[in-house]
Formats: sequence, C-alpha cells, structure tokens
Amino acid sequence: MDFDAVKDCLIQEANRAGLEEYEVYFMESSGMSTETLKNEISSFSSGVSGGVSFRCVVNGKMGSAATELFTEEEMKALVTRAMDGAKYIENEDRAILYAGAERYETVKVPESLIPDAAAVKKIALEIQERTYSESQWITDGTQSGVFCDQISMELMNSHGLHLSHRVSMSGAYAQAVIQKDGESQDAFDFTLNLDSDSLTAVSSRATQEALSKVGTVDISSGKYDVILGGKQMRSLLSAFSPIFSAKNAQLGLSLLKGREGELVANPIVTLMDDPLREDCPMQTAFDGEGVATRRKAVIKNGVLNTLLYDLATAYKAGVESTGNGQRVGYAENVTIRPYSFYLAGGTVSETELRETMGDGVYITELKGLHSGCNAVTGDFSIESAGYKVRNGKLCEAIKSFTIAGNFFELLKGIEGMANEVHFGIPSGFTVYGAPDVMIRQMSVAGK
Amino acid sequence: MIKRDLLEELLAAALSTGGDFAEVYAEHTRNNGIQFVDGKIDRITDNVLSGVGIRVFLNQRTVYASTSDLTREGLLRCARSAADALGEGNAQISICLKPQTVIDSHPVRINPCNAENSYKTNILKKACCTAAEHSELITQVQGTLAGVDHEILVANSDGLLVEDRHVRTRIVVNAIASKDGENQSGSCAPGRGMGMELFELFDPSEVGKRAAEMALVNLRADYCKAGQMTVAIENGFGGVIFHEACGHSLEATQVGVGMSEMCGKLGQKIANEKITAIDDGTIPNAWGSVNVDDEGNPTRRNVLIENGVLKGYMIDRLGSRRMGMPMTGNSRRQSYVYEPTSRMTNTFIDNGPDRNEDIISSIEYGLYAREMGGGSVNPLTGAFNFSVREGYMIRNGKICEPVRGASLIGTGSQILQDIDMVGQNLATGQGMCGSSSGNVPTDVGQPLIRVKKITVGGR
Repeated sequence: MDFDAVKDCLIQEANRAGLEEYEVYFMESSGMSTETLKNEISSFSSGVSGGVSFRCVVNGKMGSAATELFTEEEMKALVTRAMDGAKYIENEDRAILYAGAERYETVKVPESLIPDAAAVKKIALEIQERTYSESQWITDGTQSGVFCDQISMELMNSHGLHLSHRVSMSGAYAQAVIQKDGESQDAFDFTLNLDSDSLTAVSSRATQEALSKVGTVDISSGKYDVILGGKQMRSLLSAFSPIFSAKNAQLGLSLLKGREGELVANPIVTLMDDPLREDCPMQTAFDGEGVATRRKAVIKNGVLNTLLYDLATAYKAGVESTGNGQRVGYAENVTIRPYSFYLAGGTVSETELRETMGDGVYITELKGLHSGCNAVTGDFSIESAGYKVRNGKLCEAIKSFTIAGNFFELLKGIEGMANEVHFGIPSGFTVYGAPDVMIRQMSVAGK
Repeated sequence: MIKRDLLEELLAAALSTGGDFAEVYAEHTRNNGIQFVDGKIDRITDNVLSGVGIRVFLNQRTVYASTSDLTREGLLRCARSAADALGEGNAQISICLKPQTVIDSHPVRINPCNAENSYKTNILKKACCTAAEHSELITQVQGTLAGVDHEILVANSDGLLVEDRHVRTRIVVNAIASKDGENQSGSCAPGRGMGMELFELFDPSEVGKRAAEMALVNLRADYCKAGQMTVAIENGFGGVIFHEACGHSLEATQVGVGMSEMCGKLGQKIANEKITAIDDGTIPNAWGSVNVDDEGNPTRRNVLIENGVLKGYMIDRLGSRRMGMPMTGNSRRQSYVYEPTSRMTNTFIDNGPDRNEDIISSIEYGLYAREMGGGSVNPLTGAFNFSVREGYMIRNGKICEPVRGASLIGTGSQILQDIDMVGQNLATGQGMCGSSSGNVPTDVGQPLIRVKKITVGGR
C-alpha cells in the first residue's frame, strides 16, 4: 500500500467507526551515510522508512496509535487501538485538531548538494586523506564520515487541513585521533556544507583540537572565572531546553512557571527561537499540529518573553500556540520543542572576551550532559576539558575536571558574550546555537 | 515473518556483487506505553515498528541497507541497493537456509502489549499515587509503564535461520519535591525481560515510595563539596561505574579499530585482584537478556575480568573479523534501521571478599553514593563521568548528612586499580545504553564497592 491508499483506508475506517474528528500524519525518511577507517570505506548504509500515525477525538479525549506496517488489516487495527487508548485518558487537556492558519510562511532553504552514493564515498575518503595529511601525529582510529537525510511529511485531518513538506540535509565530519608523547587524544568536528573549503577546514579543526589536548596540567578545585565556548554553551542550552516548555511549566516541572514578563537572565541575554532561520537546512512553516511557526525572542534583554506552547498548553494558558508542537517521528506524540534555538551574539570578538576575563578557564568540552544536568532543579555538575587563560591568552590544556552550578543562576551570571554564534547539527527540526559566554566565579573541581 | 524462499532470494541478491557474507534481519515490534502525570493518565501510545535490514560483508567492509517496505519488490530493491553499494556484477548464488530452534530461557506469562489498558493503568496509578501521597512536599509525579514485544528473524548466507521473541516490561516513577521555590527529584525504574508478572517482583506502591523518598532526601540535602575523596558506591545501578569506566572500552566496536585504552591488554592485570567482571546475556528474564543476539548467535556468559586480569572482550561479527577472535553473542541494535555492533547485555562486577559494613566503617571522610545516575565515556582515553542521584557524606565510618549535585569523574584504567574493596550484595539496575547501533536495554550491577580516591564534582 502506498500512502494514498493508507490514507483512504484510514478515512474509510474512521468513518465506519463514526469518528467525527481525526488526523492522519505520514512521515517518510530516507538517508545515506558512510564511514572510513584507515584509507578505506569501512561502512556504508542507506535506509528508507515510513510510518503513519492516526489520532482521533473520542468523548473529548485524544487517542493515538502509529505503525510502519502498511496493510489493510493493520489500518483497521490502528483505528481500533487509537480509539481504545482514548478511553483511558484522564487529563483535562482540550483535545484539539487544528483547522489551519490563514497564512504559512514560505520556507527559503539554502541550496544544498544532495550527493549520490558514489559522491558520498568520494567525499569521505577525501576528508580522511586530508586529516591524515594534517599532522605527523595522526594515527589509525581516525575516521571521517558523510551523511545525508531527507524527510517528507504529510498532515491531513477531518477539518480539511492538508499540509505537506520536504526537507533535506547533508554533512560531513572528521574524528581525528592523534598519538603524541605516549598520549592518545581525539577531537570531532563537522560541517553541513560539502564544498571543498569547508571540508578542508573540518580536517584541520579536528586535528588541531586533538593536538592541543596533549600535555595537560592539573587544576586545583576552587572558584574560577570561566568562558564557556559557544559549542559548550549550546550543549548546556540543549540540556536545559525543557525548562522553556509550557507543558513542563504547567506541570510544575520547570522553575520558569509563572515567570513570563520577569527578568530571568542578565540584560545582555537574548534567546531566539527561529523555525525559519535562513541558513538552516531544517526549516518548517508548520508544526506537528499544523500550526504556523514563527520567529520569536523567548528571552529579550534578560526578560522571559514567552514560553514555548503547543495547542493544548496554549489553550490552558489562554494564549496562542507558538507553533512549537513538534512531531519528529511519525510515531511521536506532539512534544514541545524549539527550532533554531540560540543565544544572540554580543558585540566583542572571542579574543576580546578572553582579554576582558583576564585570568580564568576557557572551557572547550562538556561531557555526559544527559546525566550531569537536571532540568527540574537547574543543577549541573559536568565533566569538562579546557585551557587555562592568563592575561587573556590561552595557555596549558587542563586535565579532566568538573564544573558545577545552576542553569538559572548561570543565565543571570552571564557577564559577557562574543559575537560569533556557533550552531550544532540539527536533530529533527531542532538545532542549538550560542556564542562564547563569560561567567564569573564558577565552581571547578579538579585536583 | 518472511518466507524462506524469499529470504534465500534476498541473500543471493545481496551477494551478487562479490560480498563474502550476507545477512537479513527482520523485525516486528509492538511498543506500548502509558504515561501518568499530574494525578492523571496523560497519554497512551501503541506503535508498531516493522522493517528489514540487509547487510553485506566483504572482508572488513560492510554495507547496510534498511527498509520498511516489506513487499517482495521493496525487499529485493533493498538487497540490490546493498549489493550495488559494495561492488559490481551479477553473480548467481544459491543459498539454502536451515531453520534452527531457539530454546526460550526467558518465558513470559502476561504479554504487556496484549494486556488490557485498564489493568495496566491501575498498576501505574497505584505506583504514582503512592509517591504523590507520600508527603505534602511531593508536588508532582510522572510515571510511565512501558511494554515491548519484539519479534526478530535473522537469516544469513551461512544457512542460519532463527526466529526469536523478546518481551520486556518496565515501570518508571519520577517524583518532584518542592520547598521555598526549589525543586528536587527522585526516581525508581525497575524493569525485566518479562511480562506483567514483573509486578509480582516489584510492588508498584514500593516503587512509588522509593521515588518519593529520594526526592525528599535531595530536598533536605546541601550541595556536595568538590574535591578528591574516598567514595563508597552502592549496589544495583551503581554498576554504571563499570559499564562506563570499562565496559564500553571492552566492546569490539572500539577495540577492533584500536580506539580503546584496553587494546592489546588480554591476559594483563588491569584491575585490583578483588575485581571479577562478567557480561551475561543468558540470565533468565533479566533486562538485558536475549536468547539470540541480533546476528542470530546464542548469548552467553562472558568473563571479562577475572581477579583483576583481562580475560575477554565483547565481540560481534565485524569485530571478530577485525580482531581475529570468535564472536561472543553481543551483537545488538535498537531496530532494523541500525547496523548492529558489539554491545553489553547484563554487565556486572561480581561479589567480592569484603563485608559491606567494613567498607563504610573504613572511610574516615568520603562520599556514600546510594543511587547513581547515568554517565558517559570516551573509550579512547577512558575518561568517564557519571552523576550521583542520592548521596551522603561519610564521617568517621558513619553515613551522615545527604548531599546533592555530585558527579564522579576519572579514567577507566585508573579506577579499576583504585576499587580496593568489593562487597557481597550484588544487585542489578536497569538502563538504556546509547551507542552507534541505537539504544538497547542493558543491566548494570555490582555489590557495594569502595574507590580509594576519585574526583568528586560539586561546589
């Protein structure tokens, strides 16, 4: 069965079951990736998978079920399972299937090269060769890879809404491993641009970073002024992004509950959520419920402007949905998530920011954020790596240490921001970005 | 799931361009989940995952292709795309599959995916309501009851054809305690490779109570002081220390490409002689157990470290080719979308010689980590981190006031030497381990252990 046949079958089943409000959501993803080892392609994979989710309103409650098995029998079972599930829902959320917005933005996706299998392998081998030529200390274990993904989706419901969208993304990475002075170190870097200059830069950055980790010194435990590198600040923002969900706030799982309009960060902090950021490959004009997406400042000059809402939480709060009810996979429930979620850059360069700090620690790696951060409390205690900074200059690399603090306090304690915003690799429609940020007197645990 | 003659045709097509080995993996998985929050059943999910992954080998190279299109044409297209990515040609190959019988060591009485929603919602509510009613300070309780019914088929060009079914059930309760504008959390999340009979082992009320108690302890805890100290790590999920600090570095995924600090150390003393560590995928109905792995090989009990000496690695088919060593039944993947690789099953430090009370009384000043959270490791350098979910200071051999926000960092090779006392109350805890082949259920475990010196992150 193709999707049109699946859709027809589900509509027929929904009508037979007497359902007045229902929705069909289809998503297909396809992708290709390859990886090298030494000077060979060690693995290549490709995949196509598609699934359909069915949601329906029964006695004011939302039921849902999903499947990848496209048979008539399964479509009947799908409707039955969704209807049965709805019977047990007890929450007081208004079950809303959306009739559609008056207007949806036009998505301007940057032109990106979607390579074929042969090109994917060629690019991966080229990066690998470049990485090996970057330094005499590069050793086996060094890997390069290329990936490309395409996602298409279609959303239709009994109110006549019918939307579809297709996005694609490709990228490449290098994982440089070096062995020098009896020490092994590695570093990872990536690009979402497959032009020659970007690929060369990836090899170079990964190699230089791995080399710079050799010959580390200890740091004594204590309080230090620190600069969190942009990549690290965006990881921290990612780990704590659930605090901006209106659902979590309404359930008392976010300390931002009831704080819209209040100062929650240093006035130099502006936090943007942009579903249509022009140089992002994963843009969308509508969310998983069909609501039009829009660009907004979540924190503006330190003040919490808005939380992120889907239809149910917006109804409860008496506001409009912000278009953040996402569904990344066909089987996923509507979940509130940001799009391009980033701290807007400051006015000084990264070098100038270090000079402002004077002495302290420059943090270039944070590890294990999934376990070291608690979004409910805001507390974090995270394994880190970085460099000592003296008189604004980067000095020795530091042996493994931890930084600890509280994200809500950190937002208020940001005293300086550099002007370059570093974005990560999108996951679904979500990608995080941040510039280097300076925080005074952070707890560091070392020797 | 797929007829034998079509499987043979797929394997032949996959090998038609010069591959030396091909494998078809098919799955049909039902995922059933019930979520509770704010005193009510919030969501019910019921999803079917169904697809096929085809892998072709040529020496140490692999090509993998997957599809959810299970029509004959869709499957042949998938096999052909794998073959084409490997090389050229149109060799005619004949495969003859021989079905094998799998002995089920993990019987299931009440399949969670077929059980009535009313029965399941009652169990979940009992656990969550107990947590909510435990104290006025408990302000929110979230719970999930999840059931997975995972049917797999593996066929390969050596003639192997096996089918197996893994069922697992887990309940997760997270409780939030609040006071003076501050939140703290606690959780309890037991699971097993069994059906709803899980709740004959774990009373739902006790699960809820434990989550609430942990949240309350953390609410009255002060921040843990940072620095190096002696740490006693309790049994059960405390075993995450071995999982992160050493387990990942013993997987062929890392060892086979020279990306592990454990490369070339077989037969060498890498740990304190009190440490014997095992990966055992055969434990009846354990969370990480399966009858056969995702390459169709029976799981087994693998001794990784015996009395401090490195005895073995965890090896899948590709790792076996790279390392020149036999497979160990450790090949796993989240779903057909992922190419499998070597992964842990149920991994634990075995009971040791020390009495638990002696371990605590031996510590003048240190940390007692009663419950651990998750962590991560860089297998190349062995640098690991993990978080402490419930901790207490130890002073003069006694467990004293609770502390929160602690994390432990170190390197695998160092901590294996620094675990200098191993107790006798081995127990396991359940986790979902993430790696290149996706998230798979793994048990971690250990008895109470003492680490003589480790960096504790706090403030």
